[in-house]
Amino acid sequence: MDNEYLLAKAKNEQLHESGECGGAVSSIFKYLLDEKIVDGVLVLTKGEDLYDGIPTFIENSDEIINSCGSLHCSPTLYGDLLSKELKDKKVAISVKPCDMMAIKELEIRHQINPENIITVGLNCGGTVKPVTAEKMIKLFYDTDPQDVVKEEIDKGKFIIELKDGTEKSVKIDDLEDEGYGRRENCRRCVNKIPRQADLACGNWGSANGWTFVEVTSQKGKEIIENAENKGYVETKTPGEKPIAIRSKIEKVMIKMGNKFQKRYLEKEYPSINQWDNYWNRCIECYSCRDICPICYCIGCELERDFYKDDSTTRNPLTFQAVRISHMAYSCINCGQCEDVCPMEIPIARIYQRMQNKYKEISGYEAGHSDELPPIYSPLKE
Amino acid sequence: MSKEHPKIVGFCCNWCCYGGADTAGTSRMQYPSGIRIIRVMCSGRITPSMIFKAFKEGADGVFVGGCHMGDCHYDAGNYKWNRRATFVKEILPEFGIDPERFIFEWISASEGEKFQRTMQTFYDRLTSEDNIE
Repeated sequence: MDNEYLLAKAKNEQLHESGECGGAVSSIFKYLLDEKIVDGVLVLTKGEDLYDGIPTFIENSDEIINSCGSLHCSPTLYGDLLSKELKDKKVAISVKPCDMMAIKELEIRHQINPENIITVGLNCGGTVKPVTAEKMIKLFYDTDPQDVVKEEIDKGKFIIELKDGTEKSVKIDDLEDEGYGRRENCRRCVNKIPRQADLACGNWGSANGWTFVEVTSQKGKEIIENAENKGYVETKTPGEKPIAIRSKIEKVMIKMGNKFQKRYLEKEYPSINQWDNYWNRCIECYSCRDICPICYCIGCELERDFYKDDSTTRNPLTFQAVRISHMAYSCINCGQCEDVCPMEIPIARIYQRMQNKYKEISGYEAGHSDELPPIYSPLKE
Repeated sequence: MSKEHPKIVGFCCNWCCYGGADTAGTSRMQYPSGIRIIRVMCSGRITPSMIFKAFKEGADGVFVGGCHMGDCHYDAGNYKWNRRATFVKEILPEFGIDPERFIFEWISASEGEKFQRTMQTFYDRLTSEDNIE
């Protein structure tokens, strides 16, 4: 099926007001809940403030309004929640491209049943850690972080919108040179539009108050058509221009991602000696493994006795090398391992580098395939 | 790395390469004494972790021998190992181990001479003055 493009917005006024870009995504969720197509919706809701997004499973469609607007959340990938906590439920879920890739990898490993989930993708230019965001807004924008109502990355700038309607922007390169800005793995990311999801939504190319929707699957097509028929959303066909703008933004973003990959994975890649220093810091907390969306084994090989010895730090050959050989070919570069590492080892770099190498030798791109990586193949070839 | 008496850990599959080593032995072909052979039932049984563990324990070289493609006793074990081995080759240099220190070869039970030759070449490479790290 060829992908179709649409512009959509909420018909419900409240959702149209509170939602980002016309609230189309919130309305789709409302439709799915009202029609009992899903048991619940997994989205972020606001905790104490903008910097405290909490993943929430919403079962009542009146609560959808709480999920509207831009929020920060420290590392959360939905893949784990879906495969562990919500296994038997029918769930609709809003996903970033990396969420979607994680879900895809878990699907091919039979940890998530694709029949049970409806994925609404959101374009993503990168994420900023909550704490970094607060600091950065104080420092570079000279603004109280609590006054911010909306954030956006556009044309190489990080834009914040304040309560009183004013906008302030700083070039993202300037922020990142100073060690703020997006998470490092997000800078290296080249997956900006989650086309593996049922619908890929976003504001790139859309007119004010509308959401640009790329319909990427038959399931997605039915959902949006039915939502329109039932009066939840209003759609129109975009002209040539919005489509061109959107693909241009995507191209620029991908180009930037590739540039950062060259920089972080080649030019500024730590030397073997530097890596040894990093590995020596490891305290074997296994956080990187526990947070990894790909790691799902119940008994982990890393805990086998024959890897243990008397030395204080474990040899990386019997720790990270083993992990790499188990899952790096499916690494989706979500960067969570690096986020949770208490010793600040830039571990996501080696994983993305290995997945790139694996892509070169086998052609397997993590998070994009309906089949397991060829390393699992039982075939003679 | 240049060592006088390098230690080589050799994983040999029961049906082909181990037989090959046996043939080399019974026909009194000389090969370096530094090799420690571990018999496994199939090269498909070998996991990357075994290779890493061998290096971690101080092996100077690791050799894996399996059946020729198409000859696997269990049909496809050596194909599976081959796919894993190519990835292991990519992982080792990331941890400062020269990928030249890890080789894998297909040797049948009748190829005693090939086993001897492979071992000798590998041993020579490990002892040579070339910069194997």
